[in-house]
Amino acid sequence: MKARTNADIGILKKLLAYLSGYKLLFLLSTISAAGGVIFALYVPVKLGDAIDLLIGAGQVDFVKLAALLTECGVFIAISAALQWLTGILNNRITYEIIRDIRRDAFAKLEILPLSYIDTHPYGDTVSRIITDVDQLADGLLLGFSQLFTGIVTIVTTLVFMVMLQPIIALIVVVLTPMSLLAAKYIAKHTYQMFLAQSKTRAEQTGFIDEMISELKTVKAFSHEEENMKKFDEINERLEEVSLKAVFYSSLTNPTTRLINAIVYAAVALAGAFFCITPGGIFTVGNLSALLYFANQYTKPFNEISSVITELQNAFACASRVFMLIDEAPEAPDAPDAAVLQTAEGRVELDNVAFSYVPERQLIKDLSLSTKPGQRVAIVGPTGSGKTTLINLLMRFYDVDEGSVKVDGHDIRTLTRKSLRANYGMVLQETWLKSGTIRDNIKMSKKDATENEVIAAAKASYAHNFIKRLPNGYDTVIGEDGGSLSQGQKQLLCISRIMLSLPPMLILDEATSSIDTRTELRIQDAFAKLMKGRTTFVVAHRLSTIREADVILVLKDGQIIEKGKHDELLNANGFYATLYNSQFAGTE
Amino acid sequence: MIKLLKYLKSYLKECILAPLFKMLEASFELFVPFVVAAIIDNGIKNADKAYIIQMCVVLVILGIVGFASTITAQYYSAKAAVGFTKKLKHIMFSHLQSFSFSKIDNIGTDTMITRMTSDMNQVQTGVNLTLRLLLRSPFIVFGAMIMAFSIDFQAALVFAVVIPLLFAVVFAVMLLSIPMYKKVQSKLDEVLGKTRENLTGVRVIRAFGMEETEKEEFDAKNSALTKMQKRVGAISTLMNPLTFVIINLGIVFLINSGAIRVDGGSLTQGQVVALYNYMSQILVELIKFANLIITVTKAVASGNRINAVLEIPGGEEGSENKAIINLDNSVEFKNVNLRYGDDSEDSLKGISFKAESGEVVGIIGGTGSGKSSLVNMIPAFYTARMGEVKVGGTNVSDISVDKLREKIGIVPQKATLFKGTIRENLLWGKNDADDKEIEEALIAAQATDVVRSKDYGLDSIVEQKGRNYSGGQKQRLTIARALVKKPGILILDDSSSALDYATDAALRKAITALDYKPTVFIVSQRTSAIKHADKIIVLDNGEMVGIGKHDDLLESCAVYREIYDSQYRKEARA
Repeated sequence: MKARTNADIGILKKLLAYLSGYKLLFLLSTISAAGGVIFALYVPVKLGDAIDLLIGAGQVDFVKLAALLTECGVFIAISAALQWLTGILNNRITYEIIRDIRRDAFAKLEILPLSYIDTHPYGDTVSRIITDVDQLADGLLLGFSQLFTGIVTIVTTLVFMVMLQPIIALIVVVLTPMSLLAAKYIAKHTYQMFLAQSKTRAEQTGFIDEMISELKTVKAFSHEEENMKKFDEINERLEEVSLKAVFYSSLTNPTTRLINAIVYAAVALAGAFFCITPGGIFTVGNLSALLYFANQYTKPFNEISSVITELQNAFACASRVFMLIDEAPEAPDAPDAAVLQTAEGRVELDNVAFSYVPERQLIKDLSLSTKPGQRVAIVGPTGSGKTTLINLLMRFYDVDEGSVKVDGHDIRTLTRKSLRANYGMVLQETWLKSGTIRDNIKMSKKDATENEVIAAAKASYAHNFIKRLPNGYDTVIGEDGGSLSQGQKQLLCISRIMLSLPPMLILDEATSSIDTRTELRIQDAFAKLMKGRTTFVVAHRLSTIREADVILVLKDGQIIEKGKHDELLNANGFYATLYNSQFAGTE
Repeated sequence: MIKLLKYLKSYLKECILAPLFKMLEASFELFVPFVVAAIIDNGIKNADKAYIIQMCVVLVILGIVGFASTITAQYYSAKAAVGFTKKLKHIMFSHLQSFSFSKIDNIGTDTMITRMTSDMNQVQTGVNLTLRLLLRSPFIVFGAMIMAFSIDFQAALVFAVVIPLLFAVVFAVMLLSIPMYKKVQSKLDEVLGKTRENLTGVRVIRAFGMEETEKEEFDAKNSALTKMQKRVGAISTLMNPLTFVIINLGIVFLINSGAIRVDGGSLTQGQVVALYNYMSQILVELIKFANLIITVTKAVASGNRINAVLEIPGGEEGSENKAIINLDNSVEFKNVNLRYGDDSEDSLKGISFKAESGEVVGIIGGTGSGKSSLVNMIPAFYTARMGEVKVGGTNVSDISVDKLREKIGIVPQKATLFKGTIRENLLWGKNDADDKEIEEALIAAQATDVVRSKDYGLDSIVEQKGRNYSGGQKQRLTIARALVKKPGILILDDSSSALDYATDAALRKAITALDYKPTVFIVSQRTSAIKHADKIIVLDNGEMVGIGKHDDLLESCAVYREIYDSQYRKEARA
């Protein structure tokens, strides 16, 4: 519990830091909220006074009444204006704070180490920045608008009630907590039922999700009847627990209302007695105001308790966002990091050791040196860690031991940006930015002219299909590439590289799912690119492999063999087995 | 939505009793200001203590009776709502399961899941709240007005102005802000899209050094969202101050006109207090009512979506003819054309071939060439637009769907397992398979080491969608699942893509060696996988451009040669 409180204080401090930019607005909102409440509550007191003037036929003092009612009108107007101002201010503070938090979270995303992004599910990170921040906004808004006004309402109501009649005020203060206790009691006892309901509901949702999304498999195996039986069984259980949860939880409202009715009766009783006490100064108007307050007094309590639940939830969400914002960023470039100009393409790996997790060493003592223009093929079964090498070359990850050098510079002494600009990378998992085709091609060279873009697209055989798209180069595509085929998407990615023509390449050949003709084009485009450039290629095609200057054979994340095609075949090791099973038939 | 209400029929009693008891409660609530007026006018005026006590006891009794009625009402409404949803879910689930493959494609599984889950929850909440509140709130609002008029017609005229005005304001604010909330949602979706994009494309973004541009784009979208949120906020925050002003000014007018009536002797002080109380009651109920309308609108929209799916006719175009039992394992296509849904073009055109019992048929072609479509027609997942698909010499539409699918073992492209144990998953193939049959299937599917690597063997837990298994493990288990029932026809739809070459080769060898000699269809993009088939069907753009053995096709079929060359290039042919 204590640890929780400490964590909450930590989150509160961070939230306050965000709030500090809006100090003045916040102060203004607080003052106007308090003013709005006090004026609003003063209205029934004045109205009570007005009612006291209505003594009986011919006894009404209209002059006094007009003055009182005018006063009321002014209070009403002021209070309404202040309420509105408070609302606007709270909106502004909340949504701007939320915007700041989102901006910071996203900015962190851009400098997080790849190791974080690779090991955390995307959905989780997205939900931190979107859903959690949204919930935080709801919580903050409610907190700003109701927590403070709730407290002011309670205090002001209390003061007015004491001023009107201290003994009745005491009755209200003593009796009303009963409704809170009752609400708490019910909440505590229905919690288990809610838990049971959400558990069973989750079970049902899981079942539906699984069976409907795989409905085709279900039908292929004629498994419908078994599913129906299982579904009904869960459905029955859900009905039972849902009924309990829905019914018992709906008891809170009537119960508090019952208690409020009792308080109301008590106030009416005591008030009426005070009214008829000879020599008393308590009037019917006072009674009417007190009855109003007795009704009002409990409301903020209920509201505050729901606000607190909401705030707890908001804090939980905030802690998840702040966890992301506080995540350690990628080590920045060294202060004296040099900018790598257009490289010759000499890449050296010098006794490199690397592991994603300390327990499982992946690469050990790997040395490799390429001359400018050489071609390195990386082969191995799926999941053997071919991307690890790409990660190290592009410095998405840093080596544990040894070094990676480009043109003799340790890449850790270069700026990441300039290093990466020297590589052209085409991955098998194509990624397109949502935007136009042109935006996507120009990614590598922002100031490229239209002619350059078209030339690059032509060189990579993308121009033809782009031309046929409804809006040509201005066709907007989504993140998933929309109606483009896998092969077309890859051609687009190649066009990007064609445009900037960096001195070194990292290519990832497609394994499947591309139709033959497009695939031939991709290979031709690759061949064009590779000419004269140092290339690392994750290879699936025999031709690529045989033409490589060096072949790296990976298995289970380790480089187990290294050499030329013929050498490796003669060594009769893993490469030979791989080669035979893939290319020499299945005998 | 209205059509769904027939499922409420068996809860007719609850549906009548719930609102009835709610209105009972509301009436008791309406009596309260009356009693207070009586206390003021009779008790206080005459200093009658006994009367005051009596009336206060009446107030408590009204509270208790109201409490009892509410609870009764809430029990009935909860029962009706929960029961109704349960029934609806049952009907919907059974309906969804009856859809044919083309219907599934048409509707989309995501839609179906949403209908079954969040839409159902919305409907349940909607029914529950409607039964409880839909009658209560207007009843109190108008009840209060009628009570006010019964006290004093002239003074109560204020009510006739205030109530419509309140309605207008509340609903205007709602109507204005609801479409704006939709815009907020779409702006939020854009922010979400940008965030997602930056995660999935992190390598490319960093490779091109686009971090700063991305940040700028995000900031623009984020600020647009904030602007929209502030704008809609400015409107929705109008609600409270406006209603506050209307009600309170109404009370001011009420007291003013009441004062004239009191002065004239036709109204008492207590009655003015009662009018005042009625006015206060109205606001609370009206706000509740507005919120209820939002919930009900959402529920009706959900209900309509559910109904739309229910109205799509279910069932498959299979035969009920259970007579045909003994079919051999041959498969024949005669001039078959297939078209999906509303497509303007056929996905398969004029396919004809015959596979004899026990033959191995390879199917090759690029993406979208129709490979999966072809094999999906064998178990009648999709039916021919023209031509005939025959299994065992009989048109598949003359065989009952159950009988036909019992005969066929299919391994889909995307390997999925279901929550449960490995054994339970394998039993999908055959409910009563014993351990020996399972073992045999596992051996042939090269999956014994998958089972062995798990702590509890066949009883190891499989999580939802099999996510605690790797792609290769899942693929081998789904192959085993299809083999457990020793199918007469086995279809492997590109189902070994996650296996390494050696395992893939061993798998193909084991399948051709199965002692029950099924007819096997192997769909693949790689020539190595189908090279040794008895027949290879080459598809290009929905048409069969070649059929025959590997060596013949190399000579005679240009498309086949192109595919082969792209995978082997010239060197390998030497």
